[in-house]
Amino acid sequence: MEANDRKLRLAVVGCGAVAAIHHLPALSLSRGAEAVVLVDADLGRARDLAARFGVPETATDIRSLPGRVDAAIVAVPNSLHAPVSIELLRQGVHVLVEKPMAVNVKECDEIIAAAEAGGAVLAVGLEFRFFDFSLLVRNLLHDGLLGKIRRFEMHMGVIPRWPFATDFLLKKETAGGGVLADLGVHVLDILLWWLGDWADVEYRDDAQGGLESDCELLLAFRSGVMGTVEISRTHNLSNTCLFEGERASLEVGIWDPDPQVRLLIEDREVVLAGRARRQEGSGTTFLDAFVRQIDDFAAAVRDRREPHVPGREGRRIQTLVEACYARRKFLEMPWSVLPSPRERVS
Amino acid sequence: MSHAAIEGELAGRTVLVTGGTGFIGGRLAERLVLEHGANVRALVRNVAAATRLVRFPVTVIRGDVTNPSDLATAAQGCDLVFHCAYGTSGSQKHRAWVNKEGTRRLLEAARKAKASRAVFLSTLMVYGQTADGDLDETAPRRRFGNHYSDSKLAAERLALDISSSGALPVAVLQPTAVYGPWGPVWTEKVLQSLKAGRQILINGGDGMANPVYVDDLVSAMLLAAVKDEAVGEAFLVCGEEAITWREMFGRFEKMLGEERRTVDMTPEEALDYWRSWQRKQPRLIGEGLRILKGEREIRERVQSTREGLWLREMASTLLPESWQQKIKARMATAGRPPVPSSGELPIHPLPPKMIGFFKAKTRVRIDKAKRLLGYQPAFDFATGMDLTERWARWANLL
Repeated sequence: MEANDRKLRLAVVGCGAVAAIHHLPALSLSRGAEAVVLVDADLGRARDLAARFGVPETATDIRSLPGRVDAAIVAVPNSLHAPVSIELLRQGVHVLVEKPMAVNVKECDEIIAAAEAGGAVLAVGLEFRFFDFSLLVRNLLHDGLLGKIRRFEMHMGVIPRWPFATDFLLKKETAGGGVLADLGVHVLDILLWWLGDWADVEYRDDAQGGLESDCELLLAFRSGVMGTVEISRTHNLSNTCLFEGERASLEVGIWDPDPQVRLLIEDREVVLAGRARRQEGSGTTFLDAFVRQIDDFAAAVRDRREPHVPGREGRRIQTLVEACYARRKFLEMPWSVLPSPRERVS
Repeated sequence: MSHAAIEGELAGRTVLVTGGTGFIGGRLAERLVLEHGANVRALVRNVAAATRLVRFPVTVIRGDVTNPSDLATAAQGCDLVFHCAYGTSGSQKHRAWVNKEGTRRLLEAARKAKASRAVFLSTLMVYGQTADGDLDETAPRRRFGNHYSDSKLAAERLALDISSSGALPVAVLQPTAVYGPWGPVWTEKVLQSLKAGRQILINGGDGMANPVYVDDLVSAMLLAAVKDEAVGEAFLVCGEEAITWREMFGRFEKMLGEERRTVDMTPEEALDYWRSWQRKQPRLIGEGLRILKGEREIRERVQSTREGLWLREMASTLLPESWQQKIKARMATAGRPPVPSSGELPIHPLPPKMIGFFKAKTRVRIDKAKRLLGYQPAFDFATGMDLTERWARWANLL
């Protein structure tokens, strides 16, 4: 009993903005886990956060972690997700790795294999699945309330205000991709969670030798459902997902953690609108989602069960991202055409 | 168009751009890479703002335009420097300091790095309040009276002094009202302001707007970077046609629909409106009460001072109940902004300096840029605005 009641002793590896804004505040509220050591190549940064959040120890690398901690949150730059997670998992340290799980499918496979080899729990930080609205939508779709789904459209665009600690997200080598690999992974993951495996994709983005900031997908699912996804980090969009079914339509906000959900029943002129809340007072903020995520991870370790978002789900979204980049076409905007295209340097 | 004149001249050259996350610097970086094959380096202060810039293979250097060590890193090995950054955060005084000191420090770093040239983006505002009639570069520079314009004037003087001292060749461009996709002042802000209220047109908007489409300005900057005649000179950069404010705001009005979003006023009427608007602004005591009402923590802290506790004690023991109710009611309404009586959109008041700005029938001449740089605007107003409208629609601004 005693062993079960003990909080999961956890390292936070990578002390950038997501650690400071989400993981550490969530850990201080978590009933299942506590941070005991903060790791960052920049020791000053680790010490600052340790002082702010009352974490007893700091370190500059992960080699000292096995034996000292039960688990780790891996929140380093994207290109380091795989090497850091693999090293920890192999030595039996349970890992919650930030999204995207890795920068390609091969790395995802290696992380999953390392978890199996080390007998450790692997969870992927796709916290949108912990919002009340995403569970509600999944249930509504799975219950067949809309009838056969004819089409969907998702629009997700926000101008970033994130206080980046480093510039890893601006470089292909460290970010692995642009808006698709960043914001896109979150919204495409819930879409896949709602609709199942994807079957085919057409993809366009605006990158011209760098990282895309706008992209559009025409996405088909194995179930036969087709729809469009628009993702942007240059301009604000409606940030909604609309499903049109034979019997009803469902529209839900996907960026507001406590969004409006509108259900329109065809032919009956019935519109139901409201908030998706399982219980009053929680599940309505990003912090709530992060607390749920860490508590689920701790429970998965304690109960030897699979976490809510296991490695194969992180891998699945990566297969879509990778397919998009492989099939990429240029998303040209009328105003981006150069004034003298014939003089373009080829 | 004049691009042929500089084709190949920038290929493979290492170019530093400040302000590359912004409207003009961003488009400049894009064209330097895609059109001219230059190796672009961008000095970036805010990583979140750089996501659009990194669509192209540019090298991002994180740093601040006022930090000499960041500048030394950024400028090292650079052959050309474009200075488009300006102060966009902090107090007006701080922004002015960034404009002047950032320019001085950047040009110093460029000189130390042995750059062959710098192009400094100044502004039409260095001519102060302009008069009716033609304006060219021989007009006297004078202060306009706001931090932005006056610090740009100081920075421009500094840049030209550095150039004439022989330390570093510098060319200066003085763009007019730059509009186009992503334009913060003469595009986004105009649209947002027309959505939220009505714009005053002085004398029916017959003042001259002197708009220039962003790509024309960028073309002029590229020419200024390679033409020998540009060194040590300042160039006004404007579009070709004579466009009034009526036409300029009218075109934005049209993007938003049929409803009229402008109001004609004489300068005197606009000044009266400004003064009456100012009189309606909340006074300090009203605003103070409003803050106390809205901020519970501050209110509690003020109330729990010795004086605050004493006042409350006195009030509740000495004042009749009806008075106490009145004070509470006053606390509840104090300092609220006036609510427009009709459903009409409010009229944005124009400060006196801007009344003068919109009144002036100044026609900016671009003969010097044409003669020495070979500048020729490629976008007429109709084309530039059509592209701008397509962008604004896509960007959810309409």
